[in-house]
Amino acid sequence: MPTIARPQTFDERSAGIGARAGLLKLDPLTALAAVGLIACSIVALGFTTRNEIAGDPFYYTIRQSIYAVVGIALMFALARIDYSRFRELRVGLYSLLIALNLAVLAIGFGAGGARRWIELPFFQFQPSELGKLLLVLALAGFAIDRARRQTEWQRTARLLLLGFMPALIVFVQPSLGTALVYCAVTFAILFVSGTPWQHFAAMGGLAAAAIAIVLVAAPAVGQPVLQGYQLERLTSFLNPSDDPADSSYQTKQSLTAIGSGGKLGRGDDATQAQQGFLPENHNDFIFAATAERWGFAGAALVLSLYALLIWRALRITTLSKNLYGSLVGAGIAAMLLFQVFVNVGMNVGLMPVTGVPLPLMSYGGTSVLVTFMAVGLLQSIYVQSQLSSPGRLRTAQ
Amino acid sequence: MRLTEKRVGLLFAAFALAFCLVMVRTAWLQTVRGGEYSADARSQQVATVEVPGIRGAILDRRGNALAVSEEAATVFATPYQVVNPPRTAKELATVLDEPEGEVLKALTAQSGFEYVARKTDLVTADRVERLGLDGIGILPDSRRVYPQGHDAGRLIGAVSEEGHGLFGIEQSEDPVLAGTDGEVAITKDALGQEIGRDVVTGAVAGRDVQLTIDGRIQSYAEKVLDEIGEAYTPEGATAIVMDPRDGDVLAMSSWPPVDPADLGEADPDQLTNMATGFTYEPGSTFKAFTVAGALEDGVVKPGTTFDVPPEIQVADRTIGESHPVGYRTLSVADILAQSSNVGTVMIGQQLGERPFGDWVSRFGFGRPTGIDYPAEEMGIVPTPQEYSGSSIGNLPIGQGLSVTPMQMMAGYAAIANGGLLRAPRLIESIDGEPVDRSEGTRVIGSETSAELREMLEGVLGDGGTASEVSVPGYVLAGKTGTAQKVVDGTYSETQYIASFVGFAPADDPRLLAAVIVDDPKGDHYGGSVAAPAFGEIAAFALPYLGIAPGA
Repeated sequence: MPTIARPQTFDERSAGIGARAGLLKLDPLTALAAVGLIACSIVALGFTTRNEIAGDPFYYTIRQSIYAVVGIALMFALARIDYSRFRELRVGLYSLLIALNLAVLAIGFGAGGARRWIELPFFQFQPSELGKLLLVLALAGFAIDRARRQTEWQRTARLLLLGFMPALIVFVQPSLGTALVYCAVTFAILFVSGTPWQHFAAMGGLAAAAIAIVLVAAPAVGQPVLQGYQLERLTSFLNPSDDPADSSYQTKQSLTAIGSGGKLGRGDDATQAQQGFLPENHNDFIFAATAERWGFAGAALVLSLYALLIWRALRITTLSKNLYGSLVGAGIAAMLLFQVFVNVGMNVGLMPVTGVPLPLMSYGGTSVLVTFMAVGLLQSIYVQSQLSSPGRLRTAQ
Repeated sequence: MRLTEKRVGLLFAAFALAFCLVMVRTAWLQTVRGGEYSADARSQQVATVEVPGIRGAILDRRGNALAVSEEAATVFATPYQVVNPPRTAKELATVLDEPEGEVLKALTAQSGFEYVARKTDLVTADRVERLGLDGIGILPDSRRVYPQGHDAGRLIGAVSEEGHGLFGIEQSEDPVLAGTDGEVAITKDALGQEIGRDVVTGAVAGRDVQLTIDGRIQSYAEKVLDEIGEAYTPEGATAIVMDPRDGDVLAMSSWPPVDPADLGEADPDQLTNMATGFTYEPGSTFKAFTVAGALEDGVVKPGTTFDVPPEIQVADRTIGESHPVGYRTLSVADILAQSSNVGTVMIGQQLGERPFGDWVSRFGFGRPTGIDYPAEEMGIVPTPQEYSGSSIGNLPIGQGLSVTPMQMMAGYAAIANGGLLRAPRLIESIDGEPVDRSEGTRVIGSETSAELREMLEGVLGDGGTASEVSVPGYVLAGKTGTAQKVVDGTYSETQYIASFVGFAPADDPRLLAAVIVDDPKGDHYGGSVAAPAFGEIAAFALPYLGIAPGA
């Protein structure tokens, strides 16, 4: 079976009724989790960034609210489209992914020597964020291509290559965190698409060798692969330091913020986030800012909403009417899971400080829009599964 | 799909594990270690620093600055943060131009905050900042600058390091001049390095005070006093210039001068403004008031003559003249011009004790003049009830009572301006709002005033006690005074107060000045020590004020 037959679209199956019922057939828990998280984000930004920009206390709040509205609209739009169409576009999507990330290298700009954004009117576009979704959609499509001449090993190697190529480009920008997200997505798709265990064992061996080369061999011959600050970030979180010049200072401040939040939070006395001790309090460390202000109660609420979202993503993956939907769902679930774990892990001092945003919580247009689009795709998989087998509707609940 | 579901199940297991890990870690941080991190958060203090509201200026009547504040900076150290005290001290000492040892002492003090240099100029502060030394910080400050140097120093006063008025105008007008300090919150990271600065409350600048003082006349008066200081090395001296028509004080200087920017080792006794803070027996300059009372009460007329003996016995006292003379017949005008003690006592006797006492009081003696200046003295004047039998023998000639120079100025202003006694006016405006002039009270009629002015012309005429003083083109009038100082309760034979109070032009006075010299050495006569100084001031100020000669 070279391709899966083009499925019947929404309109073909139940024009009129479907159009009216379209909204109702969305997975309410997924929607609740996504909207709940963006609401938490807006509230958190509203309280913690008031003093951030002089004369404009709601700078971040207003912008994040606009991104939220546009994002939710995109979610609904994507939910109505049959995601399966994207499989046919896999080559185009993949080319777009490579082209956009290369464009960043050529014309992008960023902070501290990194080039991550492309300036658009009203908006700083971050292609590597959109790339996460493009990679999921394209790689899931490639994973299903089972050319007869290919062996299992060749297939695994091809998918790995397809996944690592954009990761490498993003890594060069340099955006280590995003590159790791690409890798996570690639492994998840490989994993769920049934790649044999011995392939993963081999990959593990190769990874160990690569790490040895990156950390030991390459620097020894004067060709370091990781930038100094990246390497430092990757290791320094283990020893939080008081020295602000030290990158682990961020970890130290984040731990102080979260710890001092206690059970119920410090409210307006949340000095860590409001007086500039906590770096990036609207972005990478918004979890710490939230945990400081609203304590464990707030942190637990946010984590629970993520748990709900990721659980639903994995559940939808198993409900999918076809393998492509399962792989897209698995890719999205992995993308969310990896980002949440790495970001929160970095906030609580379990993971190194890498520039991975907390989906829907961190301030950032591209990240918010792309995450909502990902949620829209999950909804599409859900809607399509209900349409193809209405009998399973009950089991899905 | 079975394989897919199995794999997704494993993914779910990984997710559940990661979720639990993060959740447990967060809970642990916020409960078990919550107290420890709360303490950490508190220790990252936000320091609140005062930013001085810039102090208002003191201006002269023409708007020229007598005292202004400019932005400055204070260099301080957080000693335990200084990495290499000897090297830091060396670098700082070079830039600040301070002794290295002093700087090192500050850097090694056992405290968390130590001043290294206060009120340095901004250029120096900027250079310190650019050294980038650990543990050295800069705070905004302001400093007081006196563009005229020590001129008017004892009038204006000075401010403390903290910027509060210590004495003089700086003290009395402190509520106006002082700005309201603002507050800036400095957020420091764990190393004490500044990472943020927020204005809590803005600093409010103080308001300006404009004086009636004319900077040029003031400088000239200071110069004249310096000459006296050099020539006679007195204990002290004061020169006051006033517009007698409205009581505006144009100059008020005291010698020796004090530099308000650097009080240094100045003797606290020499910080007073002598015009209001010095009391003395006025001597002959007081005779004008005795005559004024007698004229106004109609007891004598300018032409009334007295047979004046060489000396006169009053109760247990014998009063004589300063120079031996024989029997003379003198008019009231002659008595003033030649400063006859015996003649003045005879006029006083004719006037009577009680009316004489009333006149002393009417001219404002024995109470403050009301000038807006702190710590004004009021002298000691016995009331008629307190008079002994001999009081009428010495009070009319300015002995046995003490006055301030400003009281003499106010009294002579009434003689010069047609009879109105006013509180001398020193503050022209506050924050641009003019200060009202005192209406004044009439003490003598304009006719008496005119008669007195004419008689006082005689002092500088032939046979007068200050006949050698003149300013070409102008008719001067005034009165000399040579009073023995009271030392330990008795009149000294060697220490005198030489003074002169005068005005010009004599028929329409627009300038009134007094020069009072405390214990001049070498010469002690009012006519020769103080009167020439008055002449010098008049010679400068009359044309300067645009008063045409020949009047």
